[in-house]
Amino acid sequence: MFNDILDFFRKRKYLTFVLTMFILTWLVFMDLIDGELYRLENSLANLSTFFYKSLWPPDWKVFSIKQYNCNSPAAPWPLPANFFCSQGYIGISETLEMAFVSTGFGFLISLPLAILASRNLYPDAVALPVRTILSGMRTLPALIWAIFFVVMVGLGTMSAVFAMTLYSVGHLGKLQYEAIEGLAKDPIDAARAMGLSNSEIVIRVIIPESANYLISQLLYMFEYNVRNGSIIGIVGGVGIGFYLADYLDAQLYQRVMALLIALFFVVLVIDFISIRIRSYFIEETLNKSYTFENIFKPR
Amino acid sequence: MSNTISAQNLKIGYSKILAEINKFNIKQGEIVSIIGKSGIGKTTFLKTIANLINPIEGKLSIFESEPKKERGLIGYIPQKLGLVKHSSVFSNVLQGAVCEEPIWRSITGFHEQKTLGIVQDTIEIMGLKDKIDEPISKLSGGQQRRVAIARTMAQNPKIILADEFLSELDAKTAENVWKNMLNYVKEKNITLIIVEHNIEWAKLADRCFEMELKENKEYSSLEEIFNV
Repeated sequence: MFNDILDFFRKRKYLTFVLTMFILTWLVFMDLIDGELYRLENSLANLSTFFYKSLWPPDWKVFSIKQYNCNSPAAPWPLPANFFCSQGYIGISETLEMAFVSTGFGFLISLPLAILASRNLYPDAVALPVRTILSGMRTLPALIWAIFFVVMVGLGTMSAVFAMTLYSVGHLGKLQYEAIEGLAKDPIDAARAMGLSNSEIVIRVIIPESANYLISQLLYMFEYNVRNGSIIGIVGGVGIGFYLADYLDAQLYQRVMALLIALFFVVLVIDFISIRIRSYFIEETLNKSYTFENIFKPR
Repeated sequence: MSNTISAQNLKIGYSKILAEINKFNIKQGEIVSIIGKSGIGKTTFLKTIANLINPIEGKLSIFESEPKKERGLIGYIPQKLGLVKHSSVFSNVLQGAVCEEPIWRSITGFHEQKTLGIVQDTIEIMGLKDKIDEPISKLSGGQQRRVAIARTMAQNPKIILADEFLSELDAKTAENVWKNMLNYVKEKNITLIIVEHNIEWAKLADRCFEMELKENKEYSSLEEIFNV
Protein backbone atom coordinates (compact mmCIF):
# COMPACT_ATOMS: atom_id res chain seq x y z
CA MET A 1 0.00 0.00 0.00
CA PHE A 2 2.70 2.47 1.06
CA ASN A 3 4.81 1.44 -1.93
CA ASP A 4 1.83 2.02 -4.23
CA ILE A 5 1.45 5.58 -2.94
CA LEU A 6 5.19 6.17 -3.30
CA ASP A 7 5.06 4.82 -6.82
CA PHE A 8 2.08 7.05 -7.64
CA PHE A 9 4.03 10.20 -6.70
CA ARG A 10 7.27 9.01 -8.25
CA LYS A 11 5.55 8.77 -11.60
CA ARG A 12 3.95 12.21 -11.22
CA LYS A 13 6.93 14.45 -10.56
CA TYR A 14 5.22 17.76 -11.36
CA LEU A 15 2.19 16.96 -9.21
CA THR A 16 4.48 15.96 -6.35
CA PHE A 17 6.47 19.18 -6.77
CA VAL A 18 3.36 21.39 -6.77
CA LEU A 19 1.87 19.56 -3.77
CA THR A 20 5.12 19.77 -1.80
CA MET A 21 5.43 23.47 -2.60
CA PHE A 22 1.86 24.08 -1.50
CA ILE A 23 2.22 22.19 1.78
CA LEU A 24 5.55 23.83 2.56
CA THR A 25 4.25 27.32 1.78
CA TRP A 26 1.12 26.72 3.84
CA LEU A 27 3.13 25.53 6.85
CA VAL A 28 5.45 28.55 6.74
CA PHE A 29 2.43 30.84 6.33
CA MET A 30 0.70 29.30 9.36
CA ASP A 31 3.89 29.72 11.34
CA LEU A 32 4.12 33.37 10.30
CA ILE A 33 0.55 34.26 11.30
CA ASP A 34 0.66 32.16 14.48
CA GLY A 35 -2.37 30.23 13.31
CA GLU A 36 -4.65 33.25 13.59
CA LEU A 37 -6.73 32.26 10.61
CA TYR A 38 -9.96 33.27 12.42
CA ARG A 39 -9.07 36.87 11.58
CA LEU A 40 -10.22 36.22 8.05
CA GLU A 41 -13.79 35.70 9.29
CA ASN A 42 -14.96 39.32 9.10
CA SER A 43 -12.35 40.49 6.65
CA LEU A 44 -14.67 40.90 3.66
CA ALA A 45 -17.30 42.66 5.75
CA ASN A 46 -14.62 45.03 7.10
CA LEU A 47 -13.40 45.76 3.61
CA SER A 48 -16.93 46.35 2.39
CA THR A 49 -17.62 48.81 5.23
CA PHE A 50 -14.36 50.67 4.55
CA PHE A 51 -15.02 50.71 0.83
CA TYR A 52 -18.60 52.07 1.02
CA LYS A 53 -18.11 54.38 3.99
CA SER A 54 -14.70 55.81 3.19
CA LEU A 55 -13.55 55.08 -0.36
CA TRP A 56 -16.70 55.19 -2.48
CA PRO A 57 -17.65 57.26 -4.39
CA PRO A 58 -14.26 58.62 -5.49
CA ASP A 59 -13.89 62.33 -5.05
CA TRP A 60 -13.07 63.64 -8.53
CA LYS A 61 -12.46 67.10 -7.12
CA VAL A 62 -8.79 66.15 -7.18
CA PHE A 63 -9.00 67.00 -10.88
CA SER A 64 -10.63 70.38 -10.39
CA ILE A 65 -9.18 71.89 -7.19
CA LYS A 66 -6.72 74.51 -8.36
CA GLN A 67 -3.17 74.18 -7.15
CA TYR A 68 -1.93 77.53 -5.91
CA ASN A 69 0.64 79.35 -8.02
CA CYS A 70 -0.44 77.53 -11.19
CA ASN A 71 -1.19 79.50 -14.36
CA SER A 72 -1.93 76.87 -16.99
CA PRO A 73 -4.64 77.70 -19.56
CA ALA A 74 -8.19 76.51 -19.00
CA ALA A 75 -8.86 72.95 -20.12
CA PRO A 76 -11.37 72.35 -22.94
CA TRP A 77 -14.80 70.82 -22.27
CA PRO A 78 -15.64 68.19 -20.90
CA LEU A 79 -12.62 68.48 -18.61
CA PRO A 80 -12.95 70.79 -15.57
CA ALA A 81 -11.60 74.27 -16.32
CA ASN A 82 -8.86 73.89 -13.72
CA PHE A 83 -7.85 70.43 -14.93
CA PHE A 84 -4.29 71.38 -15.94
CA CYS A 85 -3.79 73.10 -12.59
CA SER A 86 -5.40 70.34 -10.53
CA GLN A 87 -3.50 68.33 -7.96
CA GLY A 88 -4.41 65.09 -9.72
CA TYR A 89 -3.13 66.22 -13.13
CA ILE A 90 0.04 67.81 -11.73
CA GLY A 91 0.73 64.75 -9.56
CA ILE A 92 0.25 62.23 -12.37
CA SER A 93 2.13 64.24 -15.00
CA GLU A 94 5.04 64.82 -12.59
CA THR A 95 5.16 61.10 -11.82
CA LEU A 96 5.12 60.24 -15.54
CA GLU A 97 7.90 62.74 -16.27
CA MET A 98 10.01 61.38 -13.41
CA ALA A 99 9.47 57.80 -14.62
CA PHE A 100 10.35 58.80 -18.20
CA VAL A 101 13.56 60.62 -17.26
CA SER A 102 14.80 58.01 -14.79
CA THR A 103 14.04 55.14 -17.21
CA GLY A 104 15.86 57.00 -20.00
CA PHE A 105 18.92 57.76 -17.87
CA GLY A 106 18.77 54.27 -16.39
CA PHE A 107 18.78 52.66 -19.83
CA LEU A 108 21.62 54.80 -21.14
CA ILE A 109 23.80 54.00 -18.13
CA SER A 110 22.83 50.35 -17.75
CA LEU A 111 23.42 49.25 -21.37
CA PRO A 112 27.20 49.84 -21.42
CA LEU A 113 27.46 48.32 -17.94
CA ALA A 114 25.41 45.28 -19.01
CA ILE A 115 27.68 44.78 -22.03
CA LEU A 116 30.73 44.84 -19.76
CA ALA A 117 28.97 42.42 -17.38
CA SER A 118 28.24 39.86 -20.12
CA ARG A 119 30.50 36.87 -19.72
CA ASN A 120 30.17 35.89 -23.39
CA LEU A 121 31.78 39.21 -24.37
CA TYR A 122 34.23 40.06 -21.60
CA PRO A 123 36.38 37.95 -19.28
CA ASP A 124 35.26 37.36 -15.69
CA ALA A 125 37.86 39.86 -14.46
CA VAL A 126 35.78 42.60 -16.10
CA ALA A 127 32.30 41.07 -15.89
CA LEU A 128 32.24 40.11 -12.20
CA PRO A 129 33.16 43.54 -10.73
CA VAL A 130 30.55 45.22 -12.96
CA ARG A 131 27.96 42.66 -11.84
CA THR A 132 28.82 43.43 -8.24
CA ILE A 133 28.19 47.14 -8.86
CA LEU A 134 24.84 46.34 -10.49
CA SER A 135 23.85 44.05 -7.59
CA GLY A 136 24.79 46.81 -5.16
CA MET A 137 22.47 49.22 -6.94
CA ARG A 138 19.69 46.66 -6.83
CA THR A 139 20.14 45.71 -3.21
CA LEU A 140 18.69 48.94 -1.86
CA PRO A 141 15.10 49.59 -2.89
CA ALA A 142 14.47 52.87 -4.69
CA LEU A 143 12.77 54.14 -1.54
CA ILE A 144 16.00 53.89 0.46
CA TRP A 145 18.00 55.49 -2.37
CA ALA A 146 15.44 58.31 -2.28
CA ILE A 147 16.13 58.89 1.42
CA PHE A 148 19.88 59.17 0.68
CA PHE A 149 19.26 61.63 -2.13
CA VAL A 150 16.83 63.67 -0.05
CA VAL A 151 19.65 64.01 2.48
CA MET A 152 22.09 64.96 -0.30
CA VAL A 153 20.05 67.34 -2.46
CA GLY A 154 16.89 67.94 -0.46
CA LEU A 155 13.24 67.20 -1.18
CA GLY A 156 11.98 67.41 -4.73
CA THR A 157 11.96 65.80 -8.14
CA MET A 158 15.75 65.66 -8.42
CA SER A 159 16.21 63.28 -5.49
CA ALA A 160 13.32 61.13 -6.74
CA VAL A 161 14.75 60.97 -10.27
CA PHE A 162 18.24 60.09 -9.02
CA ALA A 163 16.89 57.35 -6.78
CA MET A 164 14.79 55.82 -9.52
CA THR A 165 17.64 56.11 -12.04
CA LEU A 166 20.02 54.24 -9.76
CA TYR A 167 17.51 51.50 -9.10
CA SER A 168 16.70 51.30 -12.84
CA VAL A 169 20.40 50.88 -13.69
CA GLY A 170 20.72 47.93 -11.30
CA HIS A 171 17.50 46.31 -12.40
CA LEU A 172 17.79 46.93 -16.17
CA GLY A 173 21.49 46.04 -16.15
CA LYS A 174 20.76 42.57 -14.80
CA LEU A 175 17.94 41.95 -17.29
CA GLN A 176 20.13 43.21 -20.12
CA TYR A 177 23.21 41.12 -19.41
CA GLU A 178 21.05 38.04 -18.97
CA ALA A 179 19.45 38.73 -22.36
CA ILE A 180 22.87 39.25 -23.97
CA GLU A 181 24.25 36.04 -22.47
CA GLY A 182 21.22 34.16 -23.75
CA LEU A 183 21.93 35.10 -27.37
CA ALA A 184 22.99 32.45 -29.87
CA LYS A 185 26.75 31.93 -29.90
CA ASP A 186 27.18 31.46 -33.64
CA PRO A 187 26.77 35.09 -34.80
CA ILE A 188 29.24 36.24 -32.13
CA ASP A 189 31.71 33.50 -33.12
CA ALA A 190 31.45 34.42 -36.81
CA ALA A 191 32.07 38.09 -36.02
CA ARG A 192 35.02 37.25 -33.73
CA ALA A 193 36.61 34.98 -36.31
CA MET A 194 36.39 37.86 -38.81
CA GLY A 195 38.52 39.87 -36.39
CA LEU A 196 35.88 42.46 -35.52
CA SER A 197 36.48 44.40 -32.31
CA ASN A 198 34.20 44.00 -29.28
CA SER A 199 32.57 47.38 -29.91
CA GLU A 200 31.81 46.36 -33.50
CA ILE A 201 30.36 43.04 -32.29
CA VAL A 202 28.13 44.95 -29.87
CA ILE A 203 26.85 47.30 -32.58
CA ARG A 204 26.54 44.76 -35.41
CA VAL A 205 25.45 41.61 -33.53
CA ILE A 206 24.49 42.14 -29.89
CA ILE A 207 22.22 45.18 -30.22
CA PRO A 208 20.26 43.94 -33.28
CA GLU A 209 19.89 40.43 -31.85
CA SER A 210 18.76 41.58 -28.44
CA ALA A 211 16.74 44.64 -29.54
CA ASN A 212 13.40 42.92 -28.82
CA TYR A 213 14.43 42.13 -25.26
CA LEU A 214 15.99 45.54 -24.68
CA ILE A 215 12.90 47.41 -25.84
CA SER A 216 10.63 45.11 -23.90
CA GLN A 217 12.68 45.61 -20.72
CA LEU A 218 12.80 49.36 -21.27
CA LEU A 219 9.01 49.57 -21.53
CA TYR A 220 8.58 47.31 -18.52
CA MET A 221 10.96 49.50 -16.52
CA PHE A 222 9.03 52.64 -17.49
CA GLU A 223 5.78 51.04 -16.34
CA TYR A 224 7.50 49.89 -13.15
CA ASN A 225 8.91 53.37 -12.53
CA VAL A 226 5.46 54.95 -12.88
CA ARG A 227 4.29 52.78 -9.97
CA ASN A 228 7.59 53.20 -8.17
CA GLY A 229 7.35 56.97 -8.62
CA SER A 230 4.08 57.00 -6.67
CA ILE A 231 5.84 55.55 -3.64
CA ILE A 232 9.03 57.60 -4.05
CA GLY A 233 6.86 60.70 -4.20
CA ILE A 234 5.83 60.09 -0.60
CA VAL A 235 9.47 60.45 0.48
CA GLY A 236 10.53 63.03 -2.10
CA GLY A 237 7.45 65.20 -1.67
CA VAL A 238 6.67 65.15 -5.39
CA GLY A 239 4.33 63.57 -7.90
CA ILE A 240 1.21 61.64 -7.17
CA GLY A 241 2.85 60.07 -4.12
CA PHE A 242 2.99 63.43 -2.37
CA TYR A 243 -0.75 63.98 -2.84
CA LEU A 244 -1.54 60.38 -1.89
CA ALA A 245 0.42 60.77 1.36
CA ASP A 246 -1.25 64.12 1.97
CA TYR A 247 -4.77 62.74 1.51
CA LEU A 248 -4.02 59.64 3.57
CA ASP A 249 -2.80 61.83 6.43
CA ALA A 250 -5.94 63.93 6.21
CA GLN A 251 -8.07 60.73 5.91
CA LEU A 252 -9.51 61.96 2.60
CA TYR A 253 -9.83 58.39 1.32
CA GLN A 254 -12.28 59.24 -1.47
CA ARG A 255 -9.63 61.47 -3.03
CA VAL A 256 -7.09 58.68 -2.62
CA MET A 257 -9.51 56.40 -4.46
CA ALA A 258 -9.89 58.91 -7.31
CA LEU A 259 -6.11 59.19 -7.70
CA LEU A 260 -5.67 55.40 -7.62
CA ILE A 261 -8.32 54.90 -10.31
CA ALA A 262 -6.65 57.57 -12.46
CA LEU A 263 -3.25 55.91 -11.91
CA PHE A 264 -4.71 52.53 -12.83
CA PHE A 265 -5.94 53.95 -16.17
CA VAL A 266 -2.60 55.64 -16.83
CA VAL A 267 -0.82 52.28 -16.30
CA LEU A 268 -3.35 50.60 -18.62
CA VAL A 269 -2.70 53.20 -21.34
CA ILE A 270 1.07 52.78 -20.92
CA ASP A 271 0.66 49.03 -21.22
CA PHE A 272 -1.34 49.46 -24.42
CA ILE A 273 1.26 51.83 -25.88
CA SER A 274 4.00 49.36 -24.85
CA ILE A 275 2.30 46.56 -26.76
CA ARG A 276 2.07 48.78 -29.84
CA ILE A 277 5.71 49.88 -29.63
CA ARG A 278 6.90 46.35 -28.97
CA SER A 279 4.98 45.06 -31.98
CA TYR A 280 7.22 47.16 -34.25
CA PHE A 281 10.28 45.33 -32.95
CA ILE A 282 8.99 41.78 -32.89
CA GLU A 283 9.26 40.63 -36.44
CA GLU A 284 6.40 38.09 -36.34
CA THR A 285 4.06 40.98 -35.71
CA LEU A 286 5.76 43.47 -38.02
CA ASN A 287 2.82 43.69 -40.36
CA LYS A 288 0.11 43.29 -37.77
CA SER A 289 -1.27 46.48 -36.33
CA TYR A 290 -2.26 46.15 -32.69
CA THR A 291 -5.73 47.41 -31.94
CA PHE A 292 -7.95 46.87 -28.92
CA GLU A 293 -9.99 44.55 -31.13
CA ASN A 294 -7.25 42.09 -32.00
CA ILE A 295 -5.75 42.20 -28.52
CA PHE A 296 -8.93 40.70 -27.11
CA LYS A 297 -9.78 38.53 -30.12
CA PRO A 298 -9.17 34.82 -29.46
CA ARG A 299 -6.43 33.30 -31.65
CA MET B 1 55.57 27.51 -51.34
CA SER B 2 54.93 28.07 -47.64
CA ASN B 3 51.94 26.68 -45.79
CA THR B 4 48.86 28.80 -45.15
CA ILE B 5 47.79 26.63 -42.22
CA SER B 6 50.18 24.34 -40.46
CA ALA B 7 49.57 22.18 -37.39
CA GLN B 8 51.96 19.80 -35.71
CA ASN B 9 51.22 17.55 -32.75
CA LEU B 10 48.27 19.74 -31.99
CA LYS B 11 45.89 18.73 -29.21
CA ILE B 12 42.55 20.48 -29.18
CA GLY B 13 39.47 20.56 -26.96
CA TYR B 14 37.82 22.60 -24.24
CA SER B 15 38.71 21.45 -20.72
CA LYS B 16 39.99 18.04 -21.88
CA ILE B 17 41.62 16.86 -25.08
CA LEU B 18 39.06 16.00 -27.75
CA ALA B 19 41.30 15.38 -30.75
CA GLU B 20 44.91 15.40 -31.88
CA ILE B 21 46.21 16.60 -35.20
CA ASN B 22 49.66 15.21 -35.88
CA LYS B 23 50.25 16.80 -39.24
CA PHE B 24 48.07 19.22 -41.15
CA ASN B 25 49.75 21.40 -43.79
CA ILE B 26 47.54 23.34 -46.16
CA LYS B 27 48.73 25.59 -48.96
CA GLN B 28 47.05 28.71 -50.26
CA GLY B 29 44.15 28.02 -52.62
CA GLU B 30 43.64 24.38 -51.53
CA ILE B 31 40.13 23.09 -50.96
CA VAL B 32 40.05 20.73 -48.00
CA SER B 33 37.22 18.71 -46.55
CA ILE B 34 37.08 17.11 -43.12
CA ILE B 35 34.69 14.25 -42.43
CA GLY B 36 33.91 12.31 -39.28
CA LYS B 37 31.17 11.38 -36.86
CA SER B 38 29.29 13.92 -34.76
CA GLY B 39 30.98 15.15 -31.58
CA ILE B 40 34.40 13.91 -32.64
CA GLY B 41 36.09 17.34 -32.72
CA LYS B 42 35.69 18.65 -36.28
CA THR B 43 33.98 21.91 -35.23
CA THR B 44 36.46 22.33 -32.37
CA PHE B 45 39.29 22.09 -34.91
CA LEU B 46 37.70 24.76 -37.12
CA LYS B 47 37.19 27.00 -34.07
CA THR B 48 40.83 26.50 -33.10
CA ILE B 49 41.96 27.61 -36.56
CA ALA B 50 39.55 30.57 -36.31
CA ASN B 51 41.25 31.53 -33.04
CA LEU B 52 38.03 31.13 -31.08
CA ILE B 53 39.55 28.40 -28.88
CA ASN B 54 43.16 28.07 -27.76
CA PRO B 55 44.89 24.77 -28.51
CA ILE B 56 45.68 22.67 -25.43
CA GLU B 57 49.08 21.54 -26.74
CA GLY B 58 51.19 21.70 -29.89
CA LYS B 59 51.78 24.21 -32.61
CA LEU B 60 49.35 25.84 -34.97
CA SER B 61 50.43 28.52 -37.39
CA ILE B 62 48.49 30.61 -39.83
CA PHE B 63 50.67 32.22 -42.51
CA GLU B 64 53.75 31.09 -40.63
CA SER B 65 52.83 32.85 -37.40
CA GLU B 66 50.74 32.16 -34.29
CA PRO B 67 46.99 32.57 -34.78
CA LYS B 68 46.01 36.11 -33.95
CA LYS B 69 43.03 38.32 -34.56
CA GLU B 70 43.63 39.89 -37.93
CA ARG B 71 40.82 41.89 -39.43
CA GLY B 72 39.20 40.07 -42.32
CA LEU B 73 41.82 37.30 -42.65
CA ILE B 74 39.52 34.37 -41.79
CA GLY B 75 35.92 33.95 -42.87
CA TYR B 76 34.05 31.54 -40.61
CA ILE B 77 30.65 30.10 -41.48
CA PRO B 78 29.34 28.24 -38.41
CA GLN B 79 26.98 25.29 -38.65
CA LYS B 80 24.00 27.53 -37.96
CA LEU B 81 25.52 30.20 -40.22
CA GLY B 82 25.91 32.84 -37.51
CA LEU B 83 23.70 35.37 -39.27
CA VAL B 84 22.09 38.18 -37.32
CA LYS B 85 18.49 37.01 -37.69
CA HIS B 86 16.85 40.32 -36.83
CA SER B 87 18.91 42.31 -39.31
CA SER B 88 18.48 42.66 -43.05
CA VAL B 89 20.49 40.90 -45.77
CA PHE B 90 22.29 44.20 -46.42
CA SER B 91 23.26 44.63 -42.79
CA ASN B 92 24.58 41.06 -42.53
CA VAL B 93 26.71 41.37 -45.65
CA LEU B 94 27.92 44.77 -44.46
CA GLN B 95 29.23 43.02 -41.33
CA GLY B 96 31.73 41.26 -43.58
CA ALA B 97 32.54 44.30 -45.68
CA VAL B 98 33.44 46.51 -42.70
CA CYS B 99 36.61 44.42 -42.31
CA GLU B 100 37.95 46.44 -45.24
CA GLU B 101 37.51 49.81 -43.52
CA PRO B 102 38.76 51.40 -40.29
CA ILE B 103 37.00 50.52 -37.01
CA TRP B 104 35.78 54.08 -36.43
CA ARG B 105 33.83 54.02 -39.69
CA SER B 106 32.31 50.67 -38.82
CA ILE B 107 31.20 51.89 -35.39
CA THR B 108 29.88 55.28 -36.40
CA GLY B 109 28.17 54.04 -39.55
CA PHE B 110 29.99 56.51 -41.84
CA HIS B 111 30.89 53.80 -44.33
CA GLU B 112 33.08 54.39 -47.35
CA GLN B 113 31.34 54.35 -50.73
CA LYS B 114 33.68 51.53 -51.70
CA THR B 115 32.41 49.38 -48.79
CA LEU B 116 28.78 49.98 -49.67
CA GLY B 117 29.60 49.14 -53.31
CA ILE B 118 31.17 45.82 -52.24
CA VAL B 119 28.01 44.94 -50.30
CA GLN B 120 25.73 45.75 -53.25
CA ASP B 121 27.93 43.82 -55.71
CA THR B 122 28.23 40.74 -53.51
CA ILE B 123 24.51 40.59 -52.88
CA GLU B 124 23.94 40.85 -56.62
CA ILE B 125 26.44 38.07 -57.39
CA MET B 126 24.64 35.79 -54.93
CA GLY B 127 21.30 36.57 -56.60
CA LEU B 128 19.77 38.21 -53.54
CA LYS B 129 19.21 41.69 -54.94
CA ASP B 130 15.44 41.52 -54.49
CA LYS B 131 15.89 40.38 -50.87
CA ILE B 132 18.35 43.08 -49.86
CA ASP B 133 16.11 44.67 -47.21
CA GLU B 134 14.46 41.45 -45.99
CA PRO B 135 15.23 40.24 -42.46
CA ILE B 136 17.18 36.97 -42.42
CA SER B 137 14.40 35.12 -40.61
CA LYS B 138 12.14 35.61 -43.63
CA LEU B 139 14.55 33.84 -46.01
CA SER B 140 14.64 30.16 -46.94
CA GLY B 141 17.50 27.89 -45.82
CA GLY B 142 19.22 28.15 -49.22
CA GLN B 143 18.92 31.92 -49.30
CA GLN B 144 20.31 32.18 -45.76
CA ARG B 145 23.34 30.13 -46.81
CA ARG B 146 23.87 32.42 -49.77
CA VAL B 147 23.79 35.41 -47.40
CA ALA B 148 26.41 33.70 -45.22
CA ILE B 149 28.62 33.18 -48.28
CA ALA B 150 28.00 36.78 -49.41
CA ARG B 151 29.05 38.03 -45.97
CA THR B 152 32.28 36.02 -46.21
CA MET B 153 32.90 37.16 -49.79
CA ALA B 154 32.43 40.82 -48.81
CA GLN B 155 35.07 40.28 -46.16
CA ASN B 156 37.63 39.31 -48.83
CA PRO B 157 39.30 36.66 -46.64
CA LYS B 158 42.36 34.53 -47.36
CA ILE B 159 40.89 31.50 -45.56
CA ILE B 160 37.29 30.32 -45.34
CA LEU B 161 36.20 27.82 -42.69
CA ALA B 162 32.75 26.37 -43.33
CA ASP B 163 31.08 24.05 -40.83
CA GLU B 164 28.50 21.73 -42.43
CA PHE B 165 26.99 24.68 -44.19
CA LEU B 166 25.30 22.45 -46.79
CA SER B 167 23.36 20.44 -44.22
CA GLU B 168 19.57 20.72 -44.12
CA LEU B 169 19.50 21.68 -47.81
CA ASP B 170 17.90 19.66 -50.59
CA ALA B 171 20.34 18.19 -53.12
CA LYS B 172 19.65 20.78 -55.84
CA THR B 173 20.01 23.81 -53.56
CA ALA B 174 23.11 22.30 -51.92
CA GLU B 175 24.70 21.81 -55.35
CA ASN B 176 23.90 25.38 -56.28
CA VAL B 177 25.33 26.79 -53.03
CA TRP B 178 28.42 24.57 -53.29
CA LYS B 179 29.09 25.68 -56.89
CA ASN B 180 28.81 29.33 -55.89
CA MET B 181 31.34 28.79 -53.15
CA LEU B 182 33.76 26.75 -55.31
CA ASN B 183 33.75 29.28 -58.15
CA TYR B 184 34.47 32.07 -55.71
CA VAL B 185 37.33 30.40 -53.84
CA LYS B 186 38.99 29.19 -57.05
CA GLU B 187 38.74 32.57 -58.69
CA LYS B 188 40.23 34.36 -55.67
CA ASN B 189 42.74 31.62 -54.73
CA ILE B 190 41.26 31.28 -51.22
CA THR B 191 41.95 28.34 -48.91
CA LEU B 192 38.68 26.61 -48.08
CA ILE B 193 38.28 24.14 -45.23
CA ILE B 194 34.89 22.57 -45.07
CA VAL B 195 33.55 20.18 -42.44
CA GLU B 196 31.04 17.94 -44.13
CA HIS B 197 28.90 14.95 -43.19
CA ASN B 198 28.00 14.09 -46.74
CA ILE B 199 30.87 12.09 -48.24
CA GLU B 200 29.75 13.01 -51.79
CA TRP B 201 30.33 16.72 -51.14
CA ALA B 202 33.55 15.99 -49.29
CA LYS B 203 34.90 14.13 -52.35
CA LEU B 204 34.73 17.30 -54.42
CA ALA B 205 37.58 18.84 -52.41
CA ASP B 206 41.26 18.67 -53.42
CA ARG B 207 42.15 16.94 -50.17
CA CYS B 208 40.04 15.05 -47.71
CA PHE B 209 40.79 14.32 -44.05
CA GLU B 210 38.92 12.05 -41.70
CA MET B 211 38.68 12.53 -37.96
CA GLU B 212 38.04 9.28 -36.17
CA LEU B 213 38.39 7.66 -32.78
CA LYS B 214 40.66 4.64 -32.95
CA GLU B 215 40.49 1.70 -30.61
CA ASN B 216 42.27 2.09 -27.27
CA LYS B 217 42.53 5.86 -27.76
CA GLU B 218 40.98 8.48 -25.52
CA TYR B 219 40.68 11.08 -28.23
CA SER B 220 40.23 11.14 -31.97
CA SER B 221 42.89 11.89 -34.56
CA LEU B 222 42.92 13.44 -38.02
CA GLU B 223 44.25 11.55 -41.02
CA GLU B 224 44.37 12.30 -44.70
CA ILE B 225 42.25 10.03 -46.88
CA PHE B 226 43.09 11.42 -50.30
CA ASN B 227 45.03 14.18 -52.04
CA VAL B 228 44.04 14.80 -55.66
